[in-house]
Amino acid sequence: MSAPLLSVRDLSVVVRGDEGERTLLERVSLDLAPGEILGLVGESGSGKSLLCRSLVQLLPSRAISVARGEVWMGGRDLLALGEAQMQQVRGAEIGMIFQNPSSHLDPVMRVGDQIVEGLCFHRRLDRAAAKAEALAIMGQVGFTDPARQFASYPHEFSGGMRQRAMIAVALACDPKILIADEPTTALDVTIQAQILRLLMELREKRGLSIILITHDLGVVAQTCDRIAVMRQGRVVEVGDKRALLAGPAHPYTRALIASHPSMPADGEYDQVDDQADRTDEASLPRPSAVPARPLVEIDDLHIRYPLPGGLFGRRRSFSAVDGVSLQIRPGETVGIVGESGSGKSTLARAMLGLTPISDGHVSFDGATLRGQPAVALAKIRRQAAMVFQDPFNSLNPRLTIGQTLAEVLHVQGKVAPAAIPARVTELLELVELDPALAGRRPRQLSGGQCQRAGIARALAVDPRLIVADECVAALDVTIQAQIVALFQRLVKTMDLTLVFIAHDLAIVRHLCERVVVMHHGRIVEEGPCAEVFARPREAYTAALIAAIPDIDPDRRLLAPPPELIAC
Amino acid sequence: MHRYSFILLRPLQFVPVVFGVSLITFILVRMIPGDPARVLLGARATPTAIANIRAQFGLDEPLWLQYLYFLRNLANGEMGMSIVYRIDVLRLIGTRIEPTFALILCSVVLSILIAVPLAAIAARNQGRPVDHAIRFVSTFGIGFPPFWLGLMLIMLLAVKFPIFPVSGYGETLGDKLAHLALPALTIALSLSTVLLRSLRAAMVDWLKSDVATAARARGMPESIVFWRHVLPNSIVPTINLLAVNIGWLIGGTVVIESIFALPGMGQLLVRAIFSRDYMVVQGVAMVFACATVLVNFLADIATVAADPRVKL
Repeated sequence: MSAPLLSVRDLSVVVRGDEGERTLLERVSLDLAPGEILGLVGESGSGKSLLCRSLVQLLPSRAISVARGEVWMGGRDLLALGEAQMQQVRGAEIGMIFQNPSSHLDPVMRVGDQIVEGLCFHRRLDRAAAKAEALAIMGQVGFTDPARQFASYPHEFSGGMRQRAMIAVALACDPKILIADEPTTALDVTIQAQILRLLMELREKRGLSIILITHDLGVVAQTCDRIAVMRQGRVVEVGDKRALLAGPAHPYTRALIASHPSMPADGEYDQVDDQADRTDEASLPRPSAVPARPLVEIDDLHIRYPLPGGLFGRRRSFSAVDGVSLQIRPGETVGIVGESGSGKSTLARAMLGLTPISDGHVSFDGATLRGQPAVALAKIRRQAAMVFQDPFNSLNPRLTIGQTLAEVLHVQGKVAPAAIPARVTELLELVELDPALAGRRPRQLSGGQCQRAGIARALAVDPRLIVADECVAALDVTIQAQIVALFQRLVKTMDLTLVFIAHDLAIVRHLCERVVVMHHGRIVEEGPCAEVFARPREAYTAALIAAIPDIDPDRRLLAPPPELIAC
Repeated sequence: MHRYSFILLRPLQFVPVVFGVSLITFILVRMIPGDPARVLLGARATPTAIANIRAQFGLDEPLWLQYLYFLRNLANGEMGMSIVYRIDVLRLIGTRIEPTFALILCSVVLSILIAVPLAAIAARNQGRPVDHAIRFVSTFGIGFPPFWLGLMLIMLLAVKFPIFPVSGYGETLGDKLAHLALPALTIALSLSTVLLRSLRAAMVDWLKSDVATAARARGMPESIVFWRHVLPNSIVPTINLLAVNIGWLIGGTVVIESIFALPGMGQLLVRAIFSRDYMVVQGVAMVFACATVLVNFLADIATVAADPRVKL
């Protein structure tokens, strides 16, 4: 490796609280070579983001401070610089892009002006020169019509374009190092592939060094040169990508690799999968073998939302679901996949009678929502339940987990009031939560624990159908794997029908028997999971599958032009 | 649809509002016990004289017909004749509208001039002594009733240190501003505290926001982060708060105008109610209602201008 551009030595960061000091980062040492992409992997709370914030002295709270260590760049220790000198480093030498461009871009400032801001400040350009330069940068990061898009506001862009805007804002200051903090976590797979390819392209063209923070080993495998694995504030393992993925030394790295959903080889994940398959065959009627009456029947469903129109203008509408027909049989696990905006969540809500139907029919256990809405809704409310994406916000923050579950049991009236506490305990054990947590409120639980509570709440209905809407999207990979395993066990042991909505195809492949691919409100392909993933009939499905970052560095992401592959 | 096209369409909504206000004020005024003719002519007036006055102003007609006359006049841009002053109500209002309008304008400008810098200082020093001091002092503005505050300001700045005139209204621009200073300050002291609290809270949030972090991460100094990113975002929620308060002020200048003897609409309204001058009460109420609607309309325009995400 050539002389490092950035060199972190023994960096320790502490937080001062009521109970004294707690170490958040412990003696972290890292090097970043010029033109290198370094992947920083670990779960949330492992200190990846904090490490990067420490490099530019942007600590999230006054209580957090650097206890010791050095950060060498260009012959000086960044940690020894004063605030005024640090402002020259931030942006101009080390730029940052963030996970959520929607909240990091100024909503009331034109995108172009946000790019110009850095150009004027760091490169002392006048307004006209800065605008010309900004337009050039916008072209570089993939804006199709910079002249027009210069004057747009962030909310007028899609998520992927916002991330491009964020990258343009960071590049405007012409940094040598770009810190990308989970830059694609909030994006669809196909958009993620585009953004990752853009980052690699920028590295080639500008000689940019990139620190890529992510929890997805697939992303790292596809883009990075070297990987640093962090856990509990320490770097547990650093090494060349291939060497590290092929022969992980640390047990935690091995667990991370095993949890990755695109890894069909050995690991606990697969064992659970095998068991699930076996019991499926034994206990559940195969769709083709036994023509059971469908639990949910959807026939030519249309859901349209009116677009805001003028007083005199013609009312236009947007079709979220456009002529979908689908049957779900009892005991089936069906995955619905598609990009954001494909209508998969709307379809799920329609199944549970949570959204008005514009046209077509939805029936649950023989009762149609349009024909006999009262009968159908009564059945749905007592026999179906939903698990939501955001584990925190879908639980009432003022109620303890026990109270939330007791409320459902009380309303449903299937369990005698005296038996409710016992049932609460039973439900918590069912989702592998310590019953002692019943007294906690959502804020006192971790994301994974909250999602388990959310599943317990769904199970409290004693449902025949569970609709899970992106319920693992917000969780770390290892937690994701645990929740998926939990679902597999529940489906196997209880007589449950599961509709699992996800944009992550790999998870659906592991969990579901049948998959439905949606695009622009229509079903483009459906069939048994193994078949669809092995031999997709539609180009769209094939593109979605190809965009999943594989943990194997040699299976290329969307087959980009060879000159862009760094390895 | 263009974002600003509501500016053309919104005035259509004013028609039903004006219609509703006219009906309500018409009925309410006539529910006040007493007879304008009797008030005008005194206790010993003859029944014939009273009947004459009533006939002259159409007060002997059935109520629904009186309302139709009122509407017809409104449609022609007239508001009838004042029973007491014997002049056209619109002309009467025209002579009184300026002090009230100027008072509200000065109060609002003064409140903004007080609130924005203090909120900025407090938010940027959150948790430090200066923040606590600003918030402590601002509670006085909410705690003291305006009439008391007005009297104290007169005693201090007009009587003990005669910097400003005690009461009344001037002739020249400078004279007028001098007379408006104390009443405007009285209103601004309470109005600015409301704005200050809302602004400070928004600024504290935005200073901690991802937008501010991102700006710092590209090397922007704290002053640019604040004035270019935090302030424009913080103003948005305060615009509607200001509009609500101006709406309240329009009807609420009565007390202040009385204390400082400003010859404005509030005083006119109080006298008109005492003398059962139906036409004037109706006219002033209509003007107040329209002004309130107009202020909210302007606030909507300001919100759309300040926040590109808002569509109306």
